[in-house]
Amino acid sequence: MSALVAERLSHWFGSDPALDSVDLLVDRGDHVAILGENGAGKTTLLRILATAIRPSSGKLEIMGLDALRERRRLRGRIGYVAHTPGLYPALTAAENLAFFCDLRGADRERVPEMLDLAGLSQVARKRASELSRGMQQRLAIARAVLHDPLLLILDEPDASLDAEGPELLVRVMKDRTTVLATHDQALATRLCQRTVVLRRGRVFGAGSRLRVVQ
Amino acid sequence: MTRYFYAAGGAVLLMLAAAGMIFFFAPEDALQREVQRIFYLHVSSAIAAYGCFAVVLLGGVVYLWKDSLVADRLARAAALVGVVLTTVTLVMGMLWAKPIWGTYWTWDARLTSTLVLWIIYAGYLLVRRLAAPGRQAARFAAVVGIFGFVDVPIVHFSVTWWRTQHPGPVVINDALPPEMLATFLFTMVCTLILAGVLIAIRYRIETLLDAKPVAAVVSAPTQTEPAR
Amino acid sequence: MRFATVAVAIARKDLMSEWRTRELVPALAQFVVLALVIANFGFQIDSHNASAIAPGVLWLALVFAGLIAFGRAFAAEREQATLEAMLMTGAQPAAIFAGKALAAGLLLVVCEAVLLPALGLLFGVDVSAGLVGAVLLATIGMAALGCLFAAMVAQLRARELLLPLLTLPLWIPFIVAGGQAVQSAMGGSGAFDQAVKLLLDFDILFVVLTSLAARFVLDD
Repeated sequence: MSALVAERLSHWFGSDPALDSVDLLVDRGDHVAILGENGAGKTTLLRILATAIRPSSGKLEIMGLDALRERRRLRGRIGYVAHTPGLYPALTAAENLAFFCDLRGADRERVPEMLDLAGLSQVARKRASELSRGMQQRLAIARAVLHDPLLLILDEPDASLDAEGPELLVRVMKDRTTVLATHDQALATRLCQRTVVLRRGRVFGAGSRLRVVQ
Repeated sequence: MTRYFYAAGGAVLLMLAAAGMIFFFAPEDALQREVQRIFYLHVSSAIAAYGCFAVVLLGGVVYLWKDSLVADRLARAAALVGVVLTTVTLVMGMLWAKPIWGTYWTWDARLTSTLVLWIIYAGYLLVRRLAAPGRQAARFAAVVGIFGFVDVPIVHFSVTWWRTQHPGPVVINDALPPEMLATFLFTMVCTLILAGVLIAIRYRIETLLDAKPVAAVVSAPTQTEPAR
Repeated sequence: MRFATVAVAIARKDLMSEWRTRELVPALAQFVVLALVIANFGFQIDSHNASAIAPGVLWLALVFAGLIAFGRAFAAEREQATLEAMLMTGAQPAAIFAGKALAAGLLLVVCEAVLLPALGLLFGVDVSAGLVGAVLLATIGMAALGCLFAAMVAQLRARELLLPLLTLPLWIPFIVAGGQAVQSAMGGSGAFDQAVKLLLDFDILFVVLTSLAARFVLDD
């Protein structure tokens, strides 16, 4: 059973087309990079794959479940890092993680573990608003793997990463099916064995460790 | 498109016939004199408006339940027609009130709840406008439509419970002489038909608006097999 | 039960945030006191009309404070993209909604703890337990409705305009029944018991409806 099967995913906002008939097949353990310029539809695609929004048309199956019907169940097994970190500024790093633990029904003991993984143990008691952008991004990544998800979806995780960031990415992606979106071809080839290029909502090309000529 | 033209023409003719009945057939009211003739259209449009909002409610519920675009489209069309009819009701009511009570407005149950009705569905149309077109707009509008429909009788009840000033429901008590009743029933039927035709026409417009070209992507090559 | 855990966690989080930033409650408290002061001038309050006008002033102040409080409950989430983060945990949207409404309602209650004594003091009216009970009852339904539409409006443009437009028509029954209850409690004529029963009925109806509607408003 493949981890993710997307068939003819299309999405439009009103009459504005965002995705046009995207097919995607991801096997377990695959690391797939979605490359494309701004506005190519990467974020829209990722949000659909993460079950944040429903596609206007098309089919999506994740881990054998129909993603359009079993969204809530799937969300328990998916880790998603969105474009903006989505953290609570007034809460500390530890409290942010604890809160999301509570929402997921996960054990709070995971919190110090995750903070350690992300290299944030020193700033556990600092409010999220006081953390640097890079630290916030790391915290968001840690949050995404709190519940040990089977599928990881990352929207431009490199966007505000600091020096420790890429190493964290490698660690969380290890042995975990991942789909990530990025501009950065170097990062894509470093982290992922496969790349898919999106252009104006359509799949423009795909391959393994593709060297893409724009 | 011509069948819409004929339907519209027919509805207009019916309304003219109703107008004729109102002015030439129905007798003048002993107390309120000529002004009372407003009542026929005023009450008819109120009832037609409620009918429209019932369609909006139904469309909203079916949309939320079955994800039906047709239901949403119908709700859109009916909401617009309903707001127009409610405006007509309010204006006629005010024109009627001034000579009869000496004031354009009072805060009794019926007027208040009609005004609230208008505000709610004006809000409905605004939400449709401002939301992301497609699913978000349909979802939000359905919720507004459902709450709005539930709210109006509750507002009416609340204000009645508190005080009232509207003249008694003329239709229900048999004090209406047969000519007036007949005129009223005929006008109401004509107005309902008019409302129906307007909704049908608007529905057609919405269908055309929905079908605007989608994903007209130009030169990117199409993929032939799933990206692997 | 997951529902309760989620709702309580969210309510706690919101209250904790408010405690730390202290943005909303002081502003609301100042606002309602100011509203009372202005009412004094606007309505030309004297010892004769004070008790007649007091119920109206109470509801006016409460309605505007409510709009601010509930509007804020979701505006902040939207800005920080945290609403989506909460939904992505797989928590039930109705539970998320319940937590938010609970917290926002409690914050409004804190504001009422300032409003009611101030009203009693400045308008010379008797703030009885019955009055307080009626106001609390109304707050429940108003919080449910206010938060539902605040959640909706937070996802749209022109939210300051739209929130009152959508919410006020639905608050009218609460204001009518609540106004009657407050007036009766202050020693005016009227059916206090009936009014309170109405408030309770409205609460039940709208809490149920908003809970059912929550998933269509919060989630896609």
